[in-house]
Amino acid sequence: MSRGSIVDRVTAGLPDAVGGVPLDQFRVPVGLVLVVLLLRPVIADPRMAGYPQLANTILIWMLFAASFNLLLGYTGLLSFGHAMFFGIGAYAAAVGLTRFGLPWVAAAAAGLVLSAAAAYVVARLIVQKGEIYFAMLTLAFAQAVHYVANQDPAGLTGGTTGITGASPAWLVSERGTKFVHVAGVQFDWYALLAVVFVVAMLAIWQVVRSPFGRSLVAIRENATLARSMGMNVDRYKVWAFTFAGLFAALAGVLVEVNNQGATLQLLSLSVSGDVILMTILGGSVFFFGPLAGAFVWLFAEDFLTGFNTLVLPLTELPMARIGLSGVLTYWQFFLGLLFVIVVLLSPREGIWGLLRRAVARVVALLGGGEGQ
Amino acid sequence: MTDEPPAGVDPVATPTSDVEPDDLAAPDDDPEAAPTPDVAPEDAALATVGLTRSFGALVAVDGVDLAVPAGELRAVIGPNGAGKTTLFNLVTNAIPPTDGAVWLGGRDITALAEERRPHLGLARSFQANQLFNGLTALENVRIVAQTARSGPFGLHLLGRGRSVAVDEAVALLDRLGLAGKADVVASNLSHGDQRRLGIAMALATDPSVLLLDEPTSGMGPTETRETAELIEALQAELDLTMLLIEHDMSIVLSISDRITVLNQGSVLATGTPAEVREDERVQAAYLGGVREAL
Repeated sequence: MSRGSIVDRVTAGLPDAVGGVPLDQFRVPVGLVLVVLLLRPVIADPRMAGYPQLANTILIWMLFAASFNLLLGYTGLLSFGHAMFFGIGAYAAAVGLTRFGLPWVAAAAAGLVLSAAAAYVVARLIVQKGEIYFAMLTLAFAQAVHYVANQDPAGLTGGTTGITGASPAWLVSERGTKFVHVAGVQFDWYALLAVVFVVAMLAIWQVVRSPFGRSLVAIRENATLARSMGMNVDRYKVWAFTFAGLFAALAGVLVEVNNQGATLQLLSLSVSGDVILMTILGGSVFFFGPLAGAFVWLFAEDFLTGFNTLVLPLTELPMARIGLSGVLTYWQFFLGLLFVIVVLLSPREGIWGLLRRAVARVVALLGGGEGQ
Repeated sequence: MTDEPPAGVDPVATPTSDVEPDDLAAPDDDPEAAPTPDVAPEDAALATVGLTRSFGALVAVDGVDLAVPAGELRAVIGPNGAGKTTLFNLVTNAIPPTDGAVWLGGRDITALAEERRPHLGLARSFQANQLFNGLTALENVRIVAQTARSGPFGLHLLGRGRSVAVDEAVALLDRLGLAGKADVVASNLSHGDQRRLGIAMALATDPSVLLLDEPTSGMGPTETRETAELIEALQAELDLTMLLIEHDMSIVLSISDRITVLNQGSVLATGTPAEVREDERVQAAYLGGVREAL
């Protein structure tokens, strides 16, 4: 209910349409372009992370979290195994490049197809199970995939070490920065990443705003009612799961290029857990929620782990230095604390909800000022 | 208070009370000989044959035969626990029956999945408000109308969902008196508006047979009367066959064509309001209790 009122308050006083085209139509595309334009300068700022490469990772995880939110936020499905599709995408690309000598595009495409097919089959097998059983079965499948990759079948996956040095021919690395080198033109890897990110996010946006996506929302709201009103709830859920697996694999393919390989870590339970936490932290009821969650989570992680190496004014005081280095190595504690605070302040709407409320207040204040 | 129901049904009661001796005999035979006197399941808009559902030792619905001809408004009454809502759940296949068959428009649909039935013209509203709570009233109806168009599943990924079937949804909200509430989130609507929204959603499936489970529950006297009038008007306008569970006897007696009385999962009697009211077993099992309650 607060969702509707916030939107009303935010959009009150703004023009509804320009030349007959509703402004609402451009909100998401414009927002996505702003994300990719602002992310790197903000991250590269010395007061933030200080090194721009973190922006690559954040962008990839934003896409991964958005793919997960197709399930949690839009369909109301909880999966504890989303890492399996991230990992399948990454491993397929790495295996294709190194073991079969495929061109990168073919290896990446194979990853997407394989992951979407796996998602479809897994969902078909478990979709009729109740919520918690469904979640547990996704976990079981993800662990099974992790086990297979760890066993290094036919020397394909590299076991515990994974696959290293699996880099596409067009990727050039210079002093820690990656460049794309195609047909004599060289540009930043981030630029390609940004384009793929925007296109993929627009595709996800189209899925959720399409008639199909609205059916998913109805199922999230009340699956019993949706069924009695004539929806084949299970089939909708299977296809939501398939699309989530497809976009997660795309994030996996990108992370493979970014890391120049695939490691077992990508298939781990902690990846599945992180994406859930990011999505909830950011606000699963909003399209931009998971993006905000991924940004805050990864930035906070980087910020907190880097804390004890930072030179603070406090280090001048011997007492404070001892205190800080003792406490701040528990960065996961602070990440957890952040999560708890956000969930208590804004249970369903997360950080993005807090931000929207803040913006709404500012708009209301400005609107009031104009009126006087 | 106790005078009200008899007063409400007075016009019907007076003529039958003149021929009391005949009627005393007749109702004894009527329901026995012909619980579904006029229609075979194949010819009815909606029929059940020996419909049964047991939960462990409890038989909630026990061999119910119903045959509702097209265009009829049939009320289903009975004391609490008589199996009325379970009967609806069996007809829609929200709960699969243990035994028996369901016929819709001359077709045996017993094996048909719940989500396919609305696409054949069978729709229902729920006793407790079942809505897409976080969505607007308009979106609640629009999604159902969209589903009616797309069928049980549609992988429609192009275009904007919110622009599909908007006109139908707006028209239905208008008809149900919810025109001003289109943009209100369903969970913020008043109880009565939520009841009407439930009916609008059922109508959005474009039904030929509509099951309404206590559409006036929780409403005040004025709202109840208005809703009853609305139901009667909708039935005529949309040429609907209706099955109505209702506790308000004045409504049941005034708007239904025929009444089926359930008791302990079985059909006790079926007949016109006048016939049912005069049935001794019905009076013993049910009507007396309601008069007291009123």
